[in-house]
Amino acid sequence: MTLKIYADRMSQPSRAVILFCRLNKIDFEEIRIDISKREHLSPEYQEINPMRKVPAIVDGRFKLFESHAILIYLATAFPGVADHWYPADVSKRSKIHSVLDWHHSNLRHGSMKYILHTVLAPALGVTPNPQVAVEAKKILDSSLSEIDTIWLKGSGKFLLGSYQPSIADLSLVCEIMQLEILDDEDRRRILAPYERVQKWIEATKNSTMPHFDDVHVILFKAKARLRTRQESRRIGSDVRTSYHSKM
Amino acid sequence: MTTLKIYADRVSQPARAVILFCRLNGIEFEEVEIDIFKGVHLSPEYKEINPMEQVPAIVHGEFKLFESHAILIYLASAFPGIADHWYPADLFKRAKTHSLLDWHHNNLRRGAMGYLLHLKLAPLFGVPLNPQAAAECRRILEASLWRIDSFWLQGTGNFLLGNDRPSIADLSLVSEIMQLQMLEEDDRNQIVGPFKKVQQWIEDVKNATQPHFDDIHAVLFEAIAKMKEQQANSSVPGS
Repeated sequence: MTLKIYADRMSQPSRAVILFCRLNKIDFEEIRIDISKREHLSPEYQEINPMRKVPAIVDGRFKLFESHAILIYLATAFPGVADHWYPADVSKRSKIHSVLDWHHSNLRHGSMKYILHTVLAPALGVTPNPQVAVEAKKILDSSLSEIDTIWLKGSGKFLLGSYQPSIADLSLVCEIMQLEILDDEDRRRILAPYERVQKWIEATKNSTMPHFDDVHVILFKAKARLRTRQESRRIGSDVRTSYHSKM
Repeated sequence: MTTLKIYADRVSQPARAVILFCRLNGIEFEEVEIDIFKGVHLSPEYKEINPMEQVPAIVHGEFKLFESHAILIYLASAFPGIADHWYPADLFKRAKTHSLLDWHHNNLRRGAMGYLLHLKLAPLFGVPLNPQAAAECRRILEASLWRIDSFWLQGTGNFLLGNDRPSIADLSLVSEIMQLQMLEEDDRNQIVGPFKKVQQWIEDVKNATQPHFDDIHAVLFEAIAKMKEQQANSSVPGS
């Protein structure tokens, strides 16, 4: 029975799981759960993942959610997955757990909250909260700084100074890609201080092509749609302003 | 033989989980106290141990590690004679353990720690109290306890994931819930009161891990008593 992945490619952890499978030629059936249409809240999906989040997998009768748990399961349950993704060596493996754990409350928390409360809120029916955005930006900044100075220390280009990517690189780079949704100048400003981070993003992209670009197509389409909407709102407000000034 | 060093403050929930695991499994270690309230975790010396400036951290020979779940998994895998129930070798059981440990970060831990911080502890860290953030965290805490009661404790066994014996996840999550002892009794009863399975599970974990459980939590109770005393003194007129 084929592995089923329940995912929304707008979701960073969903992308990491799909990317891992593509890179390791793991066969799967992708079932789209469209968050913007609230499909994750359906009773059917609740049977798959009672936490109502994506991604989730069903492998035979085995159900699993939480992307890091999924990545580790796939790396260990499927044959032929190269060691660098999730090393068998206990010490190396522990370091990967360490960065994956750190990620939850740091990069993920900061990035997700910042994007939600600046740009994505209207699309998801949420009221943007500028105070939350400010706090989230602080966490995002300090997370990027910690990746730049701590997690990328060492001679290799990847997290933990490795020469090859691991599941941690997939998870964290997919998270950072979500910043593409932001205004270009904002995104540039956020990443500008962190040269090692920028090089690492490129290294991860290059080592995972063409699947990396393929998995991110939907994100770039959403970015284009958002720009168009923002532009037409701006034009609309310019027209209203000039109309009122003529009154 | 290289002695394991654990850098901990027993007031910290994840630090307690790691110490408890070692005691239960006869793992010898040297405990190095890093006093959070005195800001020792922010010292340059400690930054050499853990650049994230948090507890717990371990040093095992040349190997340094932080993040309590990573530490618990490392200890369960690197030391001989650890019973399988702590961190099962079976891929499916192990995956479920990871799933729960991951869920914990932004649910029980965020809710419980956030509630205590914004309601009571913030001034100790030079930050003002924030009733709105406290209310939000309380909501997350209650939702998390509901999830544990209705989902994570499903199954025939007394422990998380329906297991018959405790795992590292039980140590991590119960240590977190113990921190709620810092709350006023009424408040704590209101929060945990509705969840009978959770209450039973806490007792089961305590019973399965005595006398170490009580021994390790003594510092927390001492800290709580001191806090109450300070509060009482500061409300005495003329003091």
